[in-house]
Amino acid sequence: MSVLRAEPEGAEPRERFDALSWLTTTDHKRIGILYVCTSLFYLCVAGGIAILIRTQLSRPENTFVGAHAYNQLFTLHGTAMIFLMVTPFAFGLANFLIPLQIGAPDMAFPRLNALSFWLFLCGGLVVFSGVLTSGGAAAAGWTAYAPLSVLRVAGGSGQDLWIVGVLMVSIATILTSINFITTVFIYRAPGMTMWRIPIFTWEMVATSLLVLVAFPSLTADLAMLLIDRHLGGHFFDPAGGGNPILYQHLFWFFGHPEVYVMILPYFGVISEIVPVFSRKPIFGYTGLVLAAFAIAGLSMGVWAHHMFTTGAVSNPFFSAVSFLIAVPTGIKFFNWIGTMWGGSISFETPMLFSIGFLINFLIGGITGVMLASPPIDFDAHDSYFVVAHMHYVLGGGSLFAIFAAMFFWWPKMFGVKLDEVLGRWTFWLMLVGFNVTFFPMHLLGLAGMPRRVFTYPDAGPLPLLNAISSSGSYLMLVAIVIFAINVVVTARRRVPVPADPWRANSLEWATSSPPPEYNFLKIPPIRSERPVFDARHPELAAETAR
Amino acid sequence: MKIGLRLFLSSAAFSLVIALVYGFTTHDPTGTVLLGVMTFAMTFAAWYMIVAEREADIWGDAAGATMREAAGESIGIYTTRSVLPICLAVSVALIAVGLIVSATLIAIGITALLVLLGLLISGSR
Repeated sequence: MSVLRAEPEGAEPRERFDALSWLTTTDHKRIGILYVCTSLFYLCVAGGIAILIRTQLSRPENTFVGAHAYNQLFTLHGTAMIFLMVTPFAFGLANFLIPLQIGAPDMAFPRLNALSFWLFLCGGLVVFSGVLTSGGAAAAGWTAYAPLSVLRVAGGSGQDLWIVGVLMVSIATILTSINFITTVFIYRAPGMTMWRIPIFTWEMVATSLLVLVAFPSLTADLAMLLIDRHLGGHFFDPAGGGNPILYQHLFWFFGHPEVYVMILPYFGVISEIVPVFSRKPIFGYTGLVLAAFAIAGLSMGVWAHHMFTTGAVSNPFFSAVSFLIAVPTGIKFFNWIGTMWGGSISFETPMLFSIGFLINFLIGGITGVMLASPPIDFDAHDSYFVVAHMHYVLGGGSLFAIFAAMFFWWPKMFGVKLDEVLGRWTFWLMLVGFNVTFFPMHLLGLAGMPRRVFTYPDAGPLPLLNAISSSGSYLMLVAIVIFAINVVVTARRRVPVPADPWRANSLEWATSSPPPEYNFLKIPPIRSERPVFDARHPELAAETAR
Repeated sequence: MKIGLRLFLSSAAFSLVIALVYGFTTHDPTGTVLLGVMTFAMTFAAWYMIVAEREADIWGDAAGATMREAAGESIGIYTTRSVLPICLAVSVALIAVGLIVSATLIAIGITALLVLLGLLISGSR
């Protein structure tokens, strides 16, 4: 363990901002914060694009943006949210937390860690640099389906920049996952056995394994696409004997596990927050861990449920495995409810967002089970019903967990606590705004509105439902603005917080807020998955030892 | 380490079962190959853990260990800064954008990459 300088616990750092030290840092906490800030930047960009999309769709036959511009907007929105926001935020959080939660001084490969971040940042900028080209940004959707994306007229250089940018992000994600797995397996503090590591860290191990088996498929797919577009390849071009279905197989072999890469870390976040605000130990620690790996394993066998309507896959096989995933997910819900059951629940902002996560993700999960049935999927495929389902899982699920995580770990990251009153405003506006935006999309889909259309006729329920949906998106914008105000206000107030402002359980709360460069001045004995609780209540430690 | 090994072995066994069931029920070569590669990757990782980490001394696995027991010799102070990661990433980005925009960018990127890799190797000696 390296010791650079000692600071008393709870000391308020008064360092001057040094840009060079941030550009050259290999400290996992700083890299984690860089990931979090970058992903929040992309959230603002992708959120701004979403507002443009909803403004275009707020009225029938609207001409706010044209068809080609609209194609670019939804492509960039999907790409930014999936590759540059939801996944990297989880990786930023994991970067910050994993060494602290397992009692390590840093990640196993600090320079590789920094390289991964900068590759991710550069990859995102390369994707967005497409807007500067004459043909505009990529316009083939975040899935970039062949043969549309093979055609060089589709997006021109913008599509090419999208491909190489996402390739860079994909490689960065793989490198980070190798780092996470190595760190957890090798760098645990004495006494921190695998069955004592916090659930969030377990979920990140499962996520990293998923990345290692799923992302190479995306990397290969994009490389083949680039070869088709520039080197005369015909992997996906039917005119040259290629097969566009091959693209879909490779893409969804990555794409469906990616959904779980975007949700498993946030299951971990909820599993950390719910026990703290229920004042109880987590109910069913082992069950939660095994359920995470069951979800990860099964998610590798469901990729073609996105391809039911191609007629080129085995619908019964993929339908059956997709249904099976609901079982371990249900176990997790059971455990979270079991944790709250009989607890002394307090409703601070992190807990509110966690409960919001449970409600929204449940709705997204139920519509997911519906879509796993081929007859329903044939009816709802590529309609707004799928858009609603996807956003309930990733927006109502992951995004709410992201806010829960920010309110919960903000004191640990920055040494200040976000304002509770403004936090509650953010939560309620976000909850109402989210459901007003996305619930009508189920009805839009059932009414036959296809996704990715830039306008629609003034007929039936479409105008009213779209107007309601757009108004909800503006409420969400207000919620985000209030959150930004909260960040500025608390940064100016700068009221220091103690090491453990929530009376939490896991090891990161044993060190000062923010932690010193070397992470821990002293690590308490680790005899259970709640070492900080054990240190606070030594009389109960023997009962909880695992 | 035993749990990590079990994790990879059980993942390999699971993906083998899925690959066999999938292959025999669907006769789809693409998915079967993908699942087969996944099985191989998990088996390789498990094999690596068995062979390379056999002698590993992981204090985290000792349930009753303390920091005092685990403390070894002082390894001194190590830096938490390096310019190499950001420079390497920018070089890779230059090559990637150069593939689309201009061969000059590729040349600059490759040159920078080689210099940085040289610095990395010489610095690690």
